[in-house]
Amino acid sequence: MRNVLAIAWREVRTYFTSPLAYVVVGVFLMLSGYIFWASLVRFSALCLQYGNNPYVFNQLNVNDMVVRPLFGSMGVIFLLMIPVVTMRLLAEERRTGTAELLFTCPLTSGQVILGKYLGAAFLLAVMLAVTLSYPVLIMATSAKPDMGPTLVGYLGVLLMGLSFLGVGLLVSAMTENQIIAAVGAFGALLMLWAIGWVADSATVTVASLMNSATFGLWEKLHLGTGGPTLGDLLNKLSITEHFQDFRKGLLDTEHVVFYLSVIFFSLFMTQRIVESRKWRG
Amino acid sequence: MIEVAGMTKRYGDRAAVDGIDFSVSRGEILGFLGPNGAGKTTTMRILTGYVPPTSGTARVAGFDVQEHPIEAKRRIGYLPEHPPLYSDMLVRPFLRFVATIRGVPRKEIGARVDRAIERCGLPPVAGRLIGNLSKGFQQRVGLAQAILHEPDVLILDEPTVGLDPSQIREIRQLIKSFAGAQTVILSTHILAEVTMTCNRVLIINEGKIAADQTLEQLAARGERTRRVALRLARAGDGVEGTIRAIPGVLAVIREGGQDGAFVVETEWTRDVREQIAQAAVTHGWGLLEMRPITLSLEDIFIRIIRGEEAA
Repeated sequence: MRNVLAIAWREVRTYFTSPLAYVVVGVFLMLSGYIFWASLVRFSALCLQYGNNPYVFNQLNVNDMVVRPLFGSMGVIFLLMIPVVTMRLLAEERRTGTAELLFTCPLTSGQVILGKYLGAAFLLAVMLAVTLSYPVLIMATSAKPDMGPTLVGYLGVLLMGLSFLGVGLLVSAMTENQIIAAVGAFGALLMLWAIGWVADSATVTVASLMNSATFGLWEKLHLGTGGPTLGDLLNKLSITEHFQDFRKGLLDTEHVVFYLSVIFFSLFMTQRIVESRKWRG
Repeated sequence: MIEVAGMTKRYGDRAAVDGIDFSVSRGEILGFLGPNGAGKTTTMRILTGYVPPTSGTARVAGFDVQEHPIEAKRRIGYLPEHPPLYSDMLVRPFLRFVATIRGVPRKEIGARVDRAIERCGLPPVAGRLIGNLSKGFQQRVGLAQAILHEPDVLILDEPTVGLDPSQIREIRQLIKSFAGAQTVILSTHILAEVTMTCNRVLIINEGKIAADQTLEQLAARGERTRRVALRLARAGDGVEGTIRAIPGVLAVIREGGQDGAFVVETEWTRDVREQIAQAAVTHGWGLLEMRPITLSLEDIFIRIIRGEEAA
């Protein structure tokens, strides 16, 4: 654990002694702050407009109109910025030869990877922590946001960001080139975002696909042809689809488990890649 | 301290290291010598556990580097060919970081870092950014990082490459100071470096060991006759005949280029320098210079590498 923390701490220092952390955090705050301000202004205009119409006025809800879109846009900003945070992590160690230091120290590759991951996760946590000021700002007005759904939304953004970091780290382990690491992570994340878009059109069921793949054996074994469609399956793989319930303030273990699995799987694959690269020299 | 048996590393069809065996005992400084691409770096990377061998074993301080990598790595200090430095860190925090991941107990980190800074002559730059240091200082930071945890075995891959002559001398002095307490393996393609710092030489060529000897053994190789260079102020016609008459002398050659310069070749077992000096005095030749000619390490090295001489 001490080794993991030493690596994570070094990573954090590197982020904050280079302009990178400040640019990333700054741009994130600027964008999310602007979006927050825009929806807040719109919300207050609507409140003024319908102030004497109790029917519509009671429909207006600060959680629905300000907090929820804010989380949605944070997700999109993460999608674009996290590849920049992770591109350096392992690619740069290889390029400069410091990988030779880390992997000849009495450390396991798992410790190195976990340390790097935690370092990047710290940066993510800093970014999110600063945005906690937004709900506080809302409370400073007379509006009362519902804190439960807001916190669930934060948990969702955090889990989604952590999964993005895992994917980014995985791509960073595959190359020595930071640009390739960033573009690769960007592509992988966009793909995981878009993968669920066929949900409505891919109506062929998974079972019938299995049947074709096994030349009819599936049917003979009476394994059934109903069940979920391919679209459903792909929709479940979508890294942003699982975020929707969090945005609404719903805490469902299915989604928590999904994100934790993505994190675990990407860290595990990263470790396998780092180990296998040793053999290729 | 280090035992290597049948170690082979293949990259595709090419064997970078091809079944080498050697061992190094405690306190020895072993010079690892060979032309570029001979397999020096690969051997060192296997010893430090950075790359696995295709076959064969390597043990450091009794621990197999593949079976017990953590235990073996604890006992090794390693300076790779390109010093592994984070250019965005200051010298002292960098060394503290390395001390931590090398497993130095928390309470001792401060003292060990100070000691390494002292030994490697880093006090003037301890608070500076590594990326802004000169190549010489960077190399020293690399060395400091390798000795921090006071390892039993120190593996240095071309530690003096790219340094200026005075820096090279300082680094060599430093390496010499490790002798006795630590086992050092030092790779280089500069022979003089081996002569000055090591007490044993391992010559490696095309992945195989071409020679494994002490410096004296190596220097004595390939000489079957002893030769003496001579310069006389007044060399008359009778010189050759007179020297030729000394028992044991096989040939006397008058060097064309210089006036009064001769090379006297004698049997390996005879040293005729005294008789020559006597003759020079008796005949009034005016002896200016007399020195034994030994084959330089460079010559021996080239001969071994070219395979002109069976090992």
